[in-house]
Amino acid sequence: MISIKLWVYVLRRILILIPTLIGLTLLVFVLVHIQGNNLILAEYINPRLTGQARELEIQRLTQEFHLDQPVYVQYFYWLGQVLTGNLGYTNTPIYSGPVTTAITLFLPNTVVLSLFAALLIWLIGIPLGVFSAVNRDSPADQGIRVFSFTLYSMPIYLIAIALILLLGVYLNVLPFSGEVSPQMVAGLSWFRDGISYPTHVLLIDAILHGDYAVAWNAFLHLIMPSLTLALAVMAGIIRILRASMLEVLEQDYIRLARAKGVPERVVNNLHARRNAMLPVVTSFGYTVAGLLGGVVVVESVFDFPGIGYWTTQALLNNDIGGIMASTLLFGIVLVLTTLILDLVYAVVDPRIRY
Amino acid sequence: MERVKERAKVLEIKDLRVSFHTRRGVFKALRGVDLELYKGEVLGLAGESGSGKSTLGLAIMGLLPRNARVESGEVLLDGSKDVLKMLRDYGSRDVKFDPRKNEKLIKRLNKELREVRGRALAMVFQEPLTSLNPVLQVGYQIAEAVYYHDPMRLVRRAISRNRCTQADLRDLMTTLKTKGEEALIEEVEKRNLRGLEEQILSIWRRQDIHEAKKEKLILSLDKHKLDSKDRLGISIYLRGLQRVPVLGRLAKDALIKEGYRLAVEILTYLGIPHPEKVVRMYPHELSGGMRQRVVIGIAIVNNPEIVIMDEPTSALDVTIQAQILELVSSLKASSNRSFIFISHDLSVLAEVSDRIAIMYAGKIAEVGPVKVIFEEPQHPYTKMLMDAIPTMDKTELKAIPGSVPDMRSPPKGCSFSNRCPFVMPKCKEMEPPMVEVSEGHKVACFLVGERK
Repeated sequence: MISIKLWVYVLRRILILIPTLIGLTLLVFVLVHIQGNNLILAEYINPRLTGQARELEIQRLTQEFHLDQPVYVQYFYWLGQVLTGNLGYTNTPIYSGPVTTAITLFLPNTVVLSLFAALLIWLIGIPLGVFSAVNRDSPADQGIRVFSFTLYSMPIYLIAIALILLLGVYLNVLPFSGEVSPQMVAGLSWFRDGISYPTHVLLIDAILHGDYAVAWNAFLHLIMPSLTLALAVMAGIIRILRASMLEVLEQDYIRLARAKGVPERVVNNLHARRNAMLPVVTSFGYTVAGLLGGVVVVESVFDFPGIGYWTTQALLNNDIGGIMASTLLFGIVLVLTTLILDLVYAVVDPRIRY
Repeated sequence: MERVKERAKVLEIKDLRVSFHTRRGVFKALRGVDLELYKGEVLGLAGESGSGKSTLGLAIMGLLPRNARVESGEVLLDGSKDVLKMLRDYGSRDVKFDPRKNEKLIKRLNKELREVRGRALAMVFQEPLTSLNPVLQVGYQIAEAVYYHDPMRLVRRAISRNRCTQADLRDLMTTLKTKGEEALIEEVEKRNLRGLEEQILSIWRRQDIHEAKKEKLILSLDKHKLDSKDRLGISIYLRGLQRVPVLGRLAKDALIKEGYRLAVEILTYLGIPHPEKVVRMYPHELSGGMRQRVVIGIAIVNNPEIVIMDEPTSALDVTIQAQILELVSSLKASSNRSFIFISHDLSVLAEVSDRIAIMYAGKIAEVGPVKVIFEEPQHPYTKMLMDAIPTMDKTELKAIPGSVPDMRSPPKGCSFSNRCPFVMPKCKEMEPPMVEVSEGHKVACFLVGERK
């Protein structure tokens, strides 16, 4: 019974996504096309063409992109292309070619980076928040509060620079530029022009090819960017979790758990934490939004070839195809995250009716 | 009254003084409480709100909040275990009270009392709506109470049921029918099937179904065998590997699953319809009365000696209240447990209690057998309370004029002196001592002393 209800709920949520996504595409399209046709022409026209040839090329492109039509007609042509999987072309110093290929090249790296960050948040942030609340007002709690508040008030690039100075320059224990040391991958058959094959994630590819020295090097390069991301997100999570834990620990059901002789460890980590996580899950939508912005900054600071790095390059080079595609991509990720969060919420809180 | 004296004391409270340190001042919640609880009795604890009755319940459990200072006194379990020693050692010291230090001690106390709570001492709280954890299934919340105190009971239940045959069950059924429950327990021991007897008896003692149906249920016990995952979990537990990360999880899952079966039995006993469904529900899916039954189930599942019930019926409507009271009476009749039943409602207490203690402003004003308290109350406060109970033939309710004194600065003498119609000059000067007027009937009032 309940599971059928859940599926109906999921289906309804997915249907609601359709208008949201249409709105998103409209916004992306209008934001770019509000600047006129010249920007689009500049992207695709060969700068070496002159005179008659240039005129012909402009005519051809106008035809191809329906630039002589009204904007809303252009929008539907574009939407049709997007739906059939054609996102146009990108032209940046790090990659030139179809946008879809660019995404398959850069997205896996960002996913791995985010997963590492998520792992760090889970392993460090959540226990710190719980510990801080359980040992309220102790020196350790004061320390954690100062730590999280400091991080919370720092812009993400500042965290990145602080980490680079501390771990990369003064202590000199971790690399902080690129995804791998260039001398490690020179002359490797599966690594060409800064792109590794077959998954395009250097760490995984190196393991697949049994090259563990390269894998270790790639892993070391992952630590600092993922740590920066994790620290930026963790700060908020620790603060929310601590506050909600403190509130939950005062509840009657915690007193009842103690009254029936449940060990303190279980009271804190099951009875209290499961309830205290609900506000954290709620706030996670905002966290992901922050994370996406964070990815762009972090990948640029660390020269890490992910989707954020590519986005920055697209922006700097007036690359319309790249800008539209990455904006769309970030939007879709955010919308899907909220959907997943709603489902997670329905699972973790039995009181939610769907 | 003779009988009361013969019984063993299971709980003794001596000169307990507790105060709450708040921003608005120090509230003296308990100001020297002396009380005993005997085996197998229901002690009713009555008083107005703010008289300290709930604080007393929490103090016995050692569940005081961090701003509660235990200034003096003892709570003795079974005549020896001093529950509040740690808090009193700090609270009685003549230093500025720091709730943070107190909290550290409370944390240590929580660890120390873990074995006692839920096993020897259990408590039912006032608010059934907030007492259950909203994100855990009802069955888990009951099963867990057994898992952390007596996991071997769950193992025995599971293994004996898994091992027994149809022939065993038929033999046991005949023994039960011809020779009674004692003989059944012996027979189960003989066959090395310990753990099966409680499963048979929980069906046998049911009153909602016909005898033939009970027999059928008992004879089908052997159909509920363990699956391979449960067997794995239990063997992990028996090898002492429950602390190993992943294996421990399997062991806990298997035992908790058996705990769900036990929870179904408990809920059936407590009169909840469709217990097999209810154990898989979350608290918000149950009504207030059902939730209170679940909380009572959690309290009694380990057969504790003492159950403290803090206004268990106050948040419920009257019909549910009557059912819960009936339940408490039957629990009392079917076991040798002792109950402390806290309520502000004297008519409720009259129904369930053997003895009643009347609290006023953090002290016991009068304590005695229920009949004596209702028929010949001695303390002016008790008398006035009795006059304030609504009945059919009263035309006007007599309220007690005035209000409870400010507990930040309680009056020097008798705390009831400002409202008492028989007040004498010395009432304002000295606190009246407890005087025993008759067997087991004690009163703290100078009027009683005068008359003697």
